[in-house]
Amino acid sequence: MLVITCPYCQEAREEEEFSYAGEAYIARPAVPEEADDATWGDYVFHRKNPRGWHWEQWQHVAGCRKVFAVKRHTVTYEIAGSWTLADGKALYLKEQA
Amino acid sequence: MSGYRIHRPGERINRQKPVSFQFDNVQYKAFSGDTLASALLANGVRLIGRSFKYGRPRGIVGFGAEEPNALIQLETGAHTVPDLKATQVELYQGLLAGSTTGYPSLDFDLKGLLGKFGRFMPPGFYYKTFMEPVKAWPVYEKYIRKAAGYGHAPVLPDPESYDHLHHHIDVLVVGGGAAGLWAATLAGRAGLKTLLVDEQSEMGGWLLTERRSRIDGLSGMDWVNQRLAELASLPNVSVLPRTTAFALHDLNLVQAVELLQDHLPLTERNAALPRQRLHKIRAHQVILASGAIERPLVFGYNDVPGVMTAAAGHSYLNRYGVAVGREVLVQTQNDAAYEAALDLAQCGVKVMLADARQGGAAAWRQQALKSAGVELLLGHGIAKVLGDKSVSGAQLVKLDGRNNQVVGSGPRLSVDTVLSSGGLTSTVHLFCHNGGRPVWNQQQLSFVCPDEGRDNIACVGAITGRWELSEALGQTHAAVAALLLGHGRGSSGNAPSVASEEVAAPRAIFRLPDGKPEGHGAKAFVDYQNDVAAADIHTAIRENYRSIEHVKRYTALGFGTDQGKLSNINGFAIAAEALGKPIAEVGTTTYRPSYTPVTFGALAGPHVGETFDVRRYTAMHASHDARKAEYEVVGQWLRPWYFPKPGEDLHAAVNRECLATRNSVGVMDASTLGKIDVKGPDAREFLNRIYSNAWSKLDPGKCRYGLMLDENGMVMDDGVTACLADDHFHMTTTTGGAARVYSWLERWHQTEWPELKVRFTTTTDHWATVAVVGPNSRQVLQKLCTDIDFDKDAFKFMDGRSGTVAGLPARVFRISFSGELAYEINVDANYGRYMWEEVMKAGAAFNITPYGTETMHVLRAEKGFIIVGQDTDGSMSPNDLAMSWAVGMKKPFSFLGKRSLLRSHTAGEGRKQLVGLLPLDPKVVLAEGAQILSNTDDTVPAAMQGHVTSSYHSAFLGRSIAMAVLKDGSKREGDTVFVWAHGKSVPAQVVSSVFVDKEGVRQHA
Amino acid sequence: MPKQGFQPFMESPLHHFKLDAEAQPRRADGRIWCNELPHLGYAVLRGDTAEAGFAQLVEQVTGLALPLKAGAVSQGPQGVLMWTSPDEWLLVSHRQRLADWTAQLDAGFAAQQLFAQTVDSSGGLTLAWLGGTQHITVLRHLGVYDFESIPLGHMVSTVLGKATVQVIRLDGDGVFVLFRRSFADYVWRLLRRAAQPYGFAVCQLEARSDHPLFAQLAAPQPLLVSA
Repeated sequence: MLVITCPYCQEAREEEEFSYAGEAYIARPAVPEEADDATWGDYVFHRKNPRGWHWEQWQHVAGCRKVFAVKRHTVTYEIAGSWTLADGKALYLKEQA
Repeated sequence: MSGYRIHRPGERINRQKPVSFQFDNVQYKAFSGDTLASALLANGVRLIGRSFKYGRPRGIVGFGAEEPNALIQLETGAHTVPDLKATQVELYQGLLAGSTTGYPSLDFDLKGLLGKFGRFMPPGFYYKTFMEPVKAWPVYEKYIRKAAGYGHAPVLPDPESYDHLHHHIDVLVVGGGAAGLWAATLAGRAGLKTLLVDEQSEMGGWLLTERRSRIDGLSGMDWVNQRLAELASLPNVSVLPRTTAFALHDLNLVQAVELLQDHLPLTERNAALPRQRLHKIRAHQVILASGAIERPLVFGYNDVPGVMTAAAGHSYLNRYGVAVGREVLVQTQNDAAYEAALDLAQCGVKVMLADARQGGAAAWRQQALKSAGVELLLGHGIAKVLGDKSVSGAQLVKLDGRNNQVVGSGPRLSVDTVLSSGGLTSTVHLFCHNGGRPVWNQQQLSFVCPDEGRDNIACVGAITGRWELSEALGQTHAAVAALLLGHGRGSSGNAPSVASEEVAAPRAIFRLPDGKPEGHGAKAFVDYQNDVAAADIHTAIRENYRSIEHVKRYTALGFGTDQGKLSNINGFAIAAEALGKPIAEVGTTTYRPSYTPVTFGALAGPHVGETFDVRRYTAMHASHDARKAEYEVVGQWLRPWYFPKPGEDLHAAVNRECLATRNSVGVMDASTLGKIDVKGPDAREFLNRIYSNAWSKLDPGKCRYGLMLDENGMVMDDGVTACLADDHFHMTTTTGGAARVYSWLERWHQTEWPELKVRFTTTTDHWATVAVVGPNSRQVLQKLCTDIDFDKDAFKFMDGRSGTVAGLPARVFRISFSGELAYEINVDANYGRYMWEEVMKAGAAFNITPYGTETMHVLRAEKGFIIVGQDTDGSMSPNDLAMSWAVGMKKPFSFLGKRSLLRSHTAGEGRKQLVGLLPLDPKVVLAEGAQILSNTDDTVPAAMQGHVTSSYHSAFLGRSIAMAVLKDGSKREGDTVFVWAHGKSVPAQVVSSVFVDKEGVRQHA
Repeated sequence: MPKQGFQPFMESPLHHFKLDAEAQPRRADGRIWCNELPHLGYAVLRGDTAEAGFAQLVEQVTGLALPLKAGAVSQGPQGVLMWTSPDEWLLVSHRQRLADWTAQLDAGFAAQQLFAQTVDSSGGLTLAWLGGTQHITVLRHLGVYDFESIPLGHMVSTVLGKATVQVIRLDGDGVFVLFRRSFADYVWRLLRRAAQPYGFAVCQLEARSDHPLFAQLAAPQPLLVSA
C-alpha cells in the first residue's frame, strides 16, 4: 500500500483513503469537433504506461475529495512528491520541455 | 521408543504442571511448556505422517517453523485446524491432535506400497502418465486428489473471533534473539517508539537452546531476562511474543499475526477476546533480526523417522528436556553441530560424530568431544540410513578431502537417531518480499542479507551470515547505532561483550555422495514435504529446465507449508552442481508472503458476519421489516425486493403489486437514489457539459431526465435533475452510480473546468424519498398536503414543488419511472419513516400497495425505460438506446462524449441497439442474458446477434415481455429472432421497447 | 412547525438499536463507553476564503471563527465548525439553531453576492461519542490512520472498516465519530465489535452546557429545518 501526501490535508495518508484518477495533464482537445478520429481516439484511449516516473492524479475520496497530482515511479513505487493540479502542472511542463 | 526425558538445567518446561493430550486417539502425558513435537518425542512417538507422493514413513525433523513433515490436524469439529506444524503447537491440557496422512492408517499406508516403485515416479509423473486420453483426466484427477494432500479444512463456521490492529511506529524489530533484543534495547533507550515481535512463546531465539555462551558475564538467558526487564520498563517499547511477521510490503508495511489464545485449552479461551490478531505495522525503520535456520545434509534415506537436524536434537534436549535417542550419530560439515553432540554426550547419550571435513572442527572442540566420550569419524559421510519406520543404523563412506566423491567404505553403525547439520541458512524471507535480493556468501555457505543498501531496512545478526554471537552482536550494535544517528539520536552503552572462539571453516558440501550415480542409490530427499529427491533435480535439469524457478515448478521443490526453509539451499546447490554453475549464479527462487501460513480468520479480522461488508439502510427500513419485505442488495443498500402476502411467492407478489400500482396506487422507497446538490452561477453550464442533453432552458420548478456519457460517448449514468433556482439544481443518480457520479463531477470540475463557479454536495443520505405511483397518487398527495396545488395543469409532469407534506417541509417532484402519474416526496431522513407511514395512512382508502425493486423493474420495462448497468454495459451510446432525443448536438460546448458519437465506429452500422422482444408464446419468459440468433441453425460457432437484457412477465399486459440489445436492432422491428438458453431456442418478435402507453397519456394524467 | 393533525416524529440513524434503553451512567472502568448524539443539525458550508466578507459573515452569524488549517475545529458553546476541505466546512449545532444560522448565512451570501452556500445535511449524518481509556485503540483496530496523532481540537476524515468517517477529537476523554445515516448500522456494529474485548457499554450522555457538542442535546424536539 502506498502512502500518499494530500497537498490539501497536508498529511501523508494511507492509499486506502484515495482513489486513482488516471494519468495527469492529458489535454482535452480545445475544439473536439476539429480533432480527427485518430487524434480524438488518442485522447480518449491512449495512456503513457511508462516504466519509470509517471505523473498521475489521485483523489482524496475519504478526505477532502480534492484531485491532485502525484509523480510516482511505477517500478519502485517511490513518490517524488504531490502537488495541487496547478502547482504540479508547472513542474510537469518544465519536465516535458 | 527412542526419545525420553532428561532433566536439563534451564529447561523451558514446567515439571510442576503436567498435561495430558491425545495423538491419533492415544493418550500421552507431557508438561506445560512443551510443544506437541517435544511431547511426542518425549513419549517415544516417531512416526507422525506419510509422505506426499510415496507414502514413506516420516517423523519430526525440525523444532520450529522449518518443520516439513510433522503436519498435524489439531482439534475437531468447528475448532479443527489443518496442517499445523507439531513443532509450533504449544501443548495445553486436553489437546487433541492427529496425523494428516496415511490411508487406511498411518502405520499401514497404501500409498506407501506405491512408493516402493518410486523410481518409476519421476517429476511430472502425473502429467506424463495420465496425459491420454484428455477426456479421462477428470476421472484420474478424482483418484489422484483422494490420495494426495494433507489434512482437511474445517466445514463448520469458525466459532472464534479475530481482529486487526494498526501500528504507526518508529522502529519494528523482527526477531527476539540476541540481535533483536539488543536492537530493541538500543532503539528503546533512544526514546523511539519500538515494537519487537517474535514468533515463539518466549524471547531468546537460539539462546533458548545454546547454554554455553556468556554475554557481559551473564548466562545467555540471564542476559535475555535482563533485556526483557529493561524493555518492559520503557513505555515507548512493546514486546509481542507468539507474533510472526509474515510479510513485508512496500514502505515498511509489515503484517504480523499474533496467536493470542491458541496456546490455551479450548475451554479456557475467553470468547470476548480474539483467538488471533493481525497487526498491520507501518514502521519508519524495520530491523530484521530473524536469524538463521539450520539445514540438514542430503543423504540416502535421510527421511527415515529419527533423522533430524542437529539444531532440533540440541533444542529438544536443552529446551524441553527430551533426549531424542540413546545412540545418536551426528553428521556435520561445520563446527556448530559439535555443540549438540557435546550436550547430548554429557547427558549420557552415546554419541558418534561424522564430519565431512578431513580436519574436523577447531581443535578445542574436538578435544571437548573426545573428553565427553564422543567417537569422531573425520572425513566421513552417511551413504544411507538403515531402518524403515525408525532409524536402526547408518552406513558410512569415506569422503575425498577435496572433491565430492567417495574414496572408500566406512563403518556401518548401529544407532537409533541421526542428527545432521549442513550449516545455517539465513532467514532472508522478509527482506526479499518486496524486491530485496539476498547475496551468496561462500564462506558461510548461505544466501544472506547484505548489510546495507535498503532504505529504512536494517539487517542484523545471523540474517547477515554472522553465525558467531560475538560478531552478530557487534554488527547489531554498529548497525543500530548508525540507524539511530540517522534519526538524530545517539546510542547508549557499548556492544555486549562475548568472548570470540576459534572456528574452522565449514565444508561446501550439500549432498553427501554414496559412490553411485544420482538416481541409482538410496533416495536422498531434498524437500521432504513434496518428496523431492536429489535425483529429481538432476532429472529436471536433464530435461532442460535451466532456470531455478522452472526447476522449482517442475519438481515442486520449496512449495508447501514449510516454503522450503530446510530444502531450498540444498536444492539450489544440487541444481548448481548439475548445471555446472556456481550457486551464486543459479540464484534463489522468489520469496513471497507469507513466511508461515496465516489463517483466513486472521486475514478477515472483523470483516465477517454482520460486519463483513457495509449494509446501507434507508430511514424506512423498520417499516419494510414490519410489512415483511424480502430484500435484495443493490450497491450495498438493502432494498425491499417485494412484499409477499401470506402464501405468495415472488411472482404472485409482483403481479399483485404491478396491478395495484397501475390500477390504483403503489408506493416505493426511492431513498437509495443518489442525490447531489449542484449550486453556483455556472451550475447550468456545468450540467450542459456533463449531461448529453441541454439544460439552458430548464426553468426553476422544472425537472429533466439527464443522460451522462463518458468521453467514449457511452452511457454511464442517468437520472432526473430538478431546477430549484436559476443557479441551484437537485441532481439524482442511479443507486449504484451515486459515488461514481459524485467523483466524476468533482474530477471534471477540478481537472478541466476549475474556472466554472459551481459546487457539488452529496445529499443522498439527507433526503428520504417516498415515490407515490399510480392513478390515485394525486389524491393521496392531496390528503397530505394543502399548500401545493396538485391540479394537473398547475403541477405538471416533470414539475417540482417545495411545500409542506404531512406537516413537514418537503420537496415534491412529479416524475415517473413507471409511466404512471407519480410523485416523489423528499423529506429530511430523520422523518423518513414518519412520512412513509403517513403516506400509507393517506393511501389506505385506495388500497395503497408498497412495492419493491422487482415491481419497479417490471413497471419500467413495460415502458421501455432502461436501467443503466442492466440494459447497458458500457458499450451503448444514446443512439443505440434510441435516445437521440436526449442528445443536444447543437449545444455550444462540446459536452462529454459528444465527439465520440461521431467516430466512425460509434456512428457506424452493425452496432447492438435496444429493442423490445415479444416471445411468440406469451407464457414464456426469456432468460436474461440469453444469446439471440437469427435462425435455428446449429452451426458452430453461431452468429450471435445480441442478448436479452431484461425479461419479465407483465401482469398488466397478461404476457411476457423483454428488452434486448440486437445488432442493427433499430431497423429490425417485425423480425423474428431466436433466443437460445438452457439448450432451447425460443422464437420472439422484435418490437418497440415501449409496451404500455406509447403516447404517455398515463404519466401526463 | 408541524401543522395540526400531523404529529411528525424523528428517528435518528441509530434509532433501531434502542440505545437509550441500555444506557447507563458512565463509570471510570476500563470499558469502552459509547452512545449516539441524535438529531443534531448539520450543514455543509461552501465558500471561498479569498472572497472578502465570507469568513466575517460566517463568524458574525455563528460566533465561530472559520477554521483555515486542515482538520482544524472551531468550538463554541453553540456548536462547532470544522474544516473538511479548502472550500468546505461542516457546521454542527442544535437543529433549530442550525436552521436559523443557515437561513441567515444564505441570505447574507446572496446579499453580498458571495459564491458561497450552505447545504442542509441534518437528515444524512449522525455523531457517536466513544470514550474510555482504550478508545483510541478501538479506532486502531478498525482504521489505518494514526489516530493517536490527532491533535486535540482537530478532526480527521478517514476510513473505518469500509466506511468513510470523520473522527473529531476535542479532548483526551473520548472522540466523536461522524458518519452517514446509511452507513450508521455498519459503523455502530463495527465499533461495538472492536470494543468488545475491552467491554462495551452504552452511556447516558448529559447535555453539558459548557460543551460545544453535548450542549446541543439540550433543547426539545422535534424541530425542523426548511426544505
